[in-house]
Amino acid sequence: MKNIVLGAILTVSVSFASGVKPVDNQLYKKECASCHFGFQPGLLPARSWVKLMNNLENHFGDDASLDKNDKKLLVDYLVKNSSDRAMNYKRSRKITSSIFGNSTPIRITKTPYFIRKHDELRVGMVKQKEVGSISNCIACHTTANKGIYSERAINIPNYGRWE
Amino acid sequence: MKIIIATILPLSLFAASFNAPMQKYIDELKVQAKNSDSSFVDFSVKRGEKIFTSVHVGKRGKKISCASCHSLNLKANGKNIHTNKVLKPLAPSVNSARLTVVKDTKKWLRRNFKDVYVRAGTAKEKGDVLYFINSK
Repeated sequence: MKNIVLGAILTVSVSFASGVKPVDNQLYKKECASCHFGFQPGLLPARSWVKLMNNLENHFGDDASLDKNDKKLLVDYLVKNSSDRAMNYKRSRKITSSIFGNSTPIRITKTPYFIRKHDELRVGMVKQKEVGSISNCIACHTTANKGIYSERAINIPNYGRWE
Repeated sequence: MKIIIATILPLSLFAASFNAPMQKYIDELKVQAKNSDSSFVDFSVKRGEKIFTSVHVGKRGKKISCASCHSLNLKANGKNIHTNKVLKPLAPSVNSARLTVVKDTKKWLRRNFKDVYVRAGTAKEKGDVLYFINSK
C-alpha cells in the first residue's frame, strides 16, 4: 500500500511540475550561458527558438554565431524542451498559453505572461548596476538556475524580498 | 642535464607559449599575415594591446572596446555590459582554460571582432591580440 501511495505521489509530481525544467545540456551551458543567464528552453515555444537560432549573427545586437553542427545540436535541444513541449511544467504552460498563435516572440521578456508577472516592478529595481536588465533573471530570482521562479525565492538587490 | 631541462620547461610554460594545436593555428595566421604583407615578421603584444583597448563604434552603434566587457585587467573577472553576466578572466596565467581550444578561440575572435570592429579581424590582428592575451 505504501508503495502504491508513494508511486502515485511520484507520478503526480512528474506530471505536474512547478517552475520550468532546469537546463541539462552541457553544450547549451557552454555556448549560450557564457554571455547571459542560461534561460531554460521551457521559457519559449519551439517556433520562437527556431526563429531566434536562425539569426545568431545578429543576436539582440551581438554576434553569437555558431558552427553548423553546434547550432543544429542546440536547436534540437531547444525545440525538444521548448515550452509548448513541456506543458507539464507550470511556467512553460502559462507562457505557452499566453502567447497568441500567430505571434512568435523571440524575447522571453515580451511574452504576455512574463509582462504580466513583472508589471509591478519599479524602474529603479531593474536599472541598477546589480541587475542591469530585465533579462538578468538570476539577479532577483535566486533559484532561477534551478528553474524555480516562485515569489518566495525573489530577492531584489537593494529592495529585498517580494512580499 | 636533467636540472637544466627541469628549469627550462617551467620557464617555457610561463613565457607565453601555446599548446600544440594553438601553435599550429598561430602558424597558419602567420602564413596568412605574411601573404598579405611581405614585410610581416611576427605578431606583436604591443599591437595586440592596442587592438584590445582601442575604442570603436561597435555593432550596436555605440562606443565599445574589448576591454568594455573583459576589463583592462585581464587577470580579473569581466562583465558583459549588456547582460551583467560575469566573465572569467581572459589571462591564461590565472585561467588556464583560455586560448587552449582552437575552435573556441576562432569562435570568439569571429564574434568579438564583429561586435567591436563591425568586421572580421585580419590574420595579423588576430595573431596580435592572441599574443597580447597570452602575455597576461
